[in-house]
Amino acid sequence: MFNKVLIANRGEIAVRIIRACRELGMQTVAVYSEADRQALHVRYADEAYLLGPPPSRESYLRSDKIIAIAKKSQAGAIHPGYGFLAERADFAEACLEAGLAFIGPKPSSIAAMGDKAVARATVARAGVQVVPGTEGEGALRNEDLLALAPTIGFPLLIKATAGGGGKGMREVNNLEEMPGLLASARREAEAAFGDGNVYLEKLLEGARHIEYQILADSHGNVIHLGERECSLQRRHQKLLEESPSPFVGDDEELRQRMGQVAVRAAQTVGYVNAGTIEFLVDKDKNYYFLEMNTRLQVEHPVTEMVTGVDIVKEQIRIARGRQMRYSQENVQINGWAIECRINAEDPYNNFLPSTGRITHSLLPTGPGVRVDTGVYPGFEISPYYDSLISKLIVRGETRAEAVLRMRRALEEYKIVGVRTNVPFHQRLMDSHRFMGGQYDTRFVEERFSMGDPEEGKLPRPEIAAIIATLVAHQQTQRAAHIIQRNERDTSNWKWISRWERMQR
Amino acid sequence: MRYITTIGEREYLVEILDDRRVIVDGVEYNVDFDSVSDQPVYSLLLDGQSFESYVYTSEVGLEVLLHGNLYPATVEDEREKRLRLAFGGRVAEREEFLLRAPMPGLVVSVPVREGQPVAKGDVLVILESMKMQNELKSPRPGVVARVRIKTGDSVEQRQTLLSVI
Repeated sequence: MFNKVLIANRGEIAVRIIRACRELGMQTVAVYSEADRQALHVRYADEAYLLGPPPSRESYLRSDKIIAIAKKSQAGAIHPGYGFLAERADFAEACLEAGLAFIGPKPSSIAAMGDKAVARATVARAGVQVVPGTEGEGALRNEDLLALAPTIGFPLLIKATAGGGGKGMREVNNLEEMPGLLASARREAEAAFGDGNVYLEKLLEGARHIEYQILADSHGNVIHLGERECSLQRRHQKLLEESPSPFVGDDEELRQRMGQVAVRAAQTVGYVNAGTIEFLVDKDKNYYFLEMNTRLQVEHPVTEMVTGVDIVKEQIRIARGRQMRYSQENVQINGWAIECRINAEDPYNNFLPSTGRITHSLLPTGPGVRVDTGVYPGFEISPYYDSLISKLIVRGETRAEAVLRMRRALEEYKIVGVRTNVPFHQRLMDSHRFMGGQYDTRFVEERFSMGDPEEGKLPRPEIAAIIATLVAHQQTQRAAHIIQRNERDTSNWKWISRWERMQR
Repeated sequence: MRYITTIGEREYLVEILDDRRVIVDGVEYNVDFDSVSDQPVYSLLLDGQSFESYVYTSEVGLEVLLHGNLYPATVEDEREKRLRLAFGGRVAEREEFLLRAPMPGLVVSVPVREGQPVAKGDVLVILESMKMQNELKSPRPGVVARVRIKTGDSVEQRQTLLSVI
């Protein structure tokens, strides 16, 4: 039984896992790259060891070094978080061989589900419906894929076999553009996962992406914690998740039926620990198995907020060979939770990533608000890792309350130093279709714009004009005079106290 | 000091009387305006109403982010405006557009070559950063000139990649 956990990850998820360990009274070991010496997970852990230079393949993907550090620091277990090594069966295997508990599923389950093509074939055999595609065909060459594409029909998706998070994914509308897209998908998959294999899948139109959180212990208990709605995506990257799903809504029968299918899919591979079964659901409520993520998900907090289950603590409990604290009967969905992924991306400039030092940050607080983040003022957002700065999660008694609370929290949230997608989320919260829960996986790309706001929301261009003029005036004045430092300092304090008073 | 401030298509005549008073299109307001030094976040109290916004400096002027809306703004005094009108059009439109790397990254592909005509929105460079491939597009029609990078190059933030004339 272990009492010390090495967290083989960085950023907000490493911090999240450290928090769970601390609450369980466990020791924590962080690993970090040269770019992350100042990172929060390094500061919060009991011990921290350098892995290597900033690029992932020289640091967070160095499984050999990570296992050596675990042995040296006498950690008994490794939590992989998400991304990096989380879905690598060989890494899980290597942990077990080194006598370390892997806080996640068995290597065989990762292999079965982690190879998305094999996963689809496996669950299809168990009678779970899958989206038409080249499932279970294994690694195919371009010639084979090009020959199979017309039998599936266009539009279709090229997806990375080892993939996740939309990387190595391309949408294909006709055979002519397919060779070029295959090449770029393979290139991106190779860079992200070290595996350039891809498969094809039919693109369902008007589809919603709904997933089920699964928990399974080594005593044969498998339960689900209800669904998450993840249809709001851009370039197949999730931007906002909610639980429960407004599409499933009051249809308790559908909710339980899909939940049972999800449990069955997990059972087909003898699944243990936390995992997620993703479905595509069409307009007529037909649902298809998409893939299983054999790890903790980015969006796990929305489920935690409505079920009250601490998923990370449950993961650790399961890895220690204990029974889960929950059975299906005592999992209740209570209220509504929404998560906005706050990325260092400029929504006004084609969502281009933004790097730089965070010079100032003011977190939203107050009732029903949770922020999971790994950054703080002074921290540098580097180009080496993904652009997720934080996750802003709110819970309300009803969906309407959650939406209003999210609006309030977004307005409070101030991050200075890099551009963020906070304005995107603000615009989304004002959109009538979002408020009505009427959106599918193509909503953001096809029916959403950062242009003029929808009617009813009063823009204030005259206020913007006054502010712009005053700023320009100050700049002119400043250019003309030498600023006295002491004066600026007093003004800072005055400003900060005023700002704090404004947090209403 | 009198300024002509343009937000979108609309012009505002803003006169700054002193630290506490401004006149906007003939209406006088009490203002209290402050910021953290070097932070582009500003608090405005306008006749007691509280507003907070980010203000960014862009190549063509200022951008004001207020209540989740971004307002591009240009601020000119009367002399600047007269000069601009005398020369006709914004200078920026006739200048060479320099495509700068918005973040450090790796050049994955350069689908254009020198001398090639491009339309607005055409992809000029694909840059990989933060594990994503980002398409850098042309903001206007023109001809590609001075390509300074090639596939496989690592580039720094703000480094000039190529230009469009």
